[in-house]
Amino acid sequence: MILQLNHLHRKPAASTTQEVVDTLYALLEEGRLEREQFARLRVHLDWIQYRQNFRECVMATKATSDPRAESLPLEVHIDMRQVAPGALRDAILRNLMIGDDAPAPHQDAVFLEDFRSFRESIAWGFNRLYWHRLTDWEEFTGRDYEQALPGGKSDANHPVAVAHCVADFWTLLRDLENRKQLPEEIFVLEIGVGMGRRAGLWMDHFRALDAERGTKYYARLRFLLGDYSLATLERSRPAVKDHMELCSFIVLDALNPLKNLAFLRHKILHIHLTNVYDNLPDEEFARREGRLYAVQVRAYVPASDARRISEELGVAATDIPRTVNRLLEGGPDYLTDRRRGLAFWHEVWQAMRLEERLVSLEDLPDVALPPGLHQEQLEEALEGAPSEVRFHLSSGALESFQNTVPLLHPRGFLQVQDIFVTNFNEYRLGFHGPGKLDGSIVNWVNGVLLREVGERAGYDVHFAPFHYRPGSRTSVLYTTQRE
Amino acid sequence: MALPILPTTVVGSYSMPGWLERLKTEYYARRISRRDLDEIHDTAVKAAIKDQEMAGLDVITDGELRRDNMIDYFAERLPGVQIDHATKKFHYDFYDSRVQGKLPAGPLGLVEDFKFLRANTERETKFCVTGPHTLSKRIRNEHYPSEQEFAMDLARVMNPELKAIAKAGGHFIQVDEPYFSGFPEDFEWGVKALNLLVEGVEAKIAVHICYGNRYGKPSWEGSYKYLLPGILDAHVQQITLEFARRGGEDLELFRELPPRFELGIGVIDVKTQAVETPHQVAERIRKALEVIPAERLFILPDCGLLHLSRDVAFAKLSAMVEGTRFVRKELKH
Repeated sequence: MILQLNHLHRKPAASTTQEVVDTLYALLEEGRLEREQFARLRVHLDWIQYRQNFRECVMATKATSDPRAESLPLEVHIDMRQVAPGALRDAILRNLMIGDDAPAPHQDAVFLEDFRSFRESIAWGFNRLYWHRLTDWEEFTGRDYEQALPGGKSDANHPVAVAHCVADFWTLLRDLENRKQLPEEIFVLEIGVGMGRRAGLWMDHFRALDAERGTKYYARLRFLLGDYSLATLERSRPAVKDHMELCSFIVLDALNPLKNLAFLRHKILHIHLTNVYDNLPDEEFARREGRLYAVQVRAYVPASDARRISEELGVAATDIPRTVNRLLEGGPDYLTDRRRGLAFWHEVWQAMRLEERLVSLEDLPDVALPPGLHQEQLEEALEGAPSEVRFHLSSGALESFQNTVPLLHPRGFLQVQDIFVTNFNEYRLGFHGPGKLDGSIVNWVNGVLLREVGERAGYDVHFAPFHYRPGSRTSVLYTTQRE
Repeated sequence: MALPILPTTVVGSYSMPGWLERLKTEYYARRISRRDLDEIHDTAVKAAIKDQEMAGLDVITDGELRRDNMIDYFAERLPGVQIDHATKKFHYDFYDSRVQGKLPAGPLGLVEDFKFLRANTERETKFCVTGPHTLSKRIRNEHYPSEQEFAMDLARVMNPELKAIAKAGGHFIQVDEPYFSGFPEDFEWGVKALNLLVEGVEAKIAVHICYGNRYGKPSWEGSYKYLLPGILDAHVQQITLEFARRGGEDLELFRELPPRFELGIGVIDVKTQAVETPHQVAERIRKALEVIPAERLFILPDCGLLHLSRDVAFAKLSAMVEGTRFVRKELKH
């Protein structure tokens, strides 16, 4: 058995570890755990990085049957924060389905889907609903979504960071003007506008700098605010009211901004995104003993939560999947009692968990990698990775990147502020997501693969820590076209 | 070999197959030999020639599939250019190359590549070389007092090779100078270097000037206004330019182009995978005909097809040929 200690924040690490080891040894000596099972067990402590997440306190991840593999991975992930005193043994027994009398895990759970890539999971339907019906959610929870962010506000709006960005941009414009290559219209795009505060702040700074230096660029500015939620775009208007004549509000999908903005191909001089990539559909791969596996998930509501929801909201447990589908299609108003609809949404989201399994990639003849990522690039990136590693493919982020950079003017730059893993070894320090951030999904982003894809497409991709707020975990990805 | 009116051709490169990219990378990783790679290149070039013929082009190139990119192919052949082989990760990346002394004269081995092309098609051919201005911008000059002098010496060293190509039957040579658009301030001396390069070369000379096609993207934006009147001093017979992606606004600049020049117009956008229809192509040609007579017009893509998938490149060339046929018919009536 391999015991992997990831991180044990604010926990007495030795005693926690001892409890897990004692439990597993006891099960082995009692004959409830086969020696062969014990030998291939890999136990991860402490598994979860986000406090709000999709996992139960003990979660087993097994590989689907593969006759070619001599030893299939058998993994147990334990989140000690969630384990109730004395409950560890039962939880392990239940998850490993050890012994004849052990109930199958999740046997009473209400499943919301079949096994699939996380990217295709119904969880993303909830994420979409959250952004489209943000006001409803905030009304129900009684708090602004930015309050859910670490520190209660977005790093996107840090005034010094914004001022530096504006100064860099002004320098670029000046250089283009000196070369007689400055376009008549100066296009800037922000994708994922939040409350519009960054856009407003950015234009305030730009107008002031332009006036101070007498360059008359401000009037040529065309600021595009893009978001896939019309409601969010509407909410951003007050923050940019002083610059309204320069602004356009565009509904676009961050996965493919090019689709709506094709007429601006090679024309936008600056594109900015904050906390967008971490909220795009993702999937995960794992390498175990030299073999590559796709991680598939299946969303469910645990039996106890299903019972509670049923009692409190009058939706029979067996009706929960159907009701969820109606919720995701039509929003919370589908119930005669809107308040109950909102409560159902909130409760199901809070309770929702993801069961996992590993599927050998050799069993998937045509593994669809994200756009721009070729198999040999993935192999190359993994050459420098730890031998046993589980990582994000960040397929949504890669897709977004691929469909955003063609909009850049040859001298333009893309800035993405997010939480990036910039080295596969960072996955040794813990696994970063997916987690729940209020009603949305949050994930760390695989910067290594972004860099690979960017370089192959002719872009230099750099990461710099966001040094404007002490303790910030975010980085800034900065991309320019390579000469 | 007589060409039809509105002759069709490529700018130079043809689609680089994914398998060839991987095999080139295998070569750099020392997993296949130079001899194997040469054979692979021969096979790929024959396939590129065949595709161009099947698409119906009138003038054929070798698809430039032996070339990693437009710089390194020449940098590796130019005597006196030092290359740091460790600097390349992907075959399309540029080497870090430099010149630390006067360039010695010597054969570059381009004639053999031309002869291979000539031997494998019955159609008219075109051979393309990167011009001295563009090379001087990518090969680091650590010897000559100025970029201009470096470029002039590059032209001096490359000139005999062009003469040899012409002697071997290369009647049509194209010089690629995309960096003119990025550095219009160099244009005056860039033309002088171009003229030195083609001095005494017994062939029809074209110069191709676009806004870059690195990794399938433009490197600069702007207007062709800077070309005039300086381009009139160039000792070339044809100027080929990028119009499909950028729109035809700049066409008007060439209304007064003297009759000694032909104009090659880009009617296929090589920076998008979307395939044009023959009708779109025909419309672009008709627009050009408002400015310059058909007898002096060549039909091409905007730039090389290197970054397009093979099926897209072939479909675009087929649409280009078909659209050109539409206009030829109209011209007959």
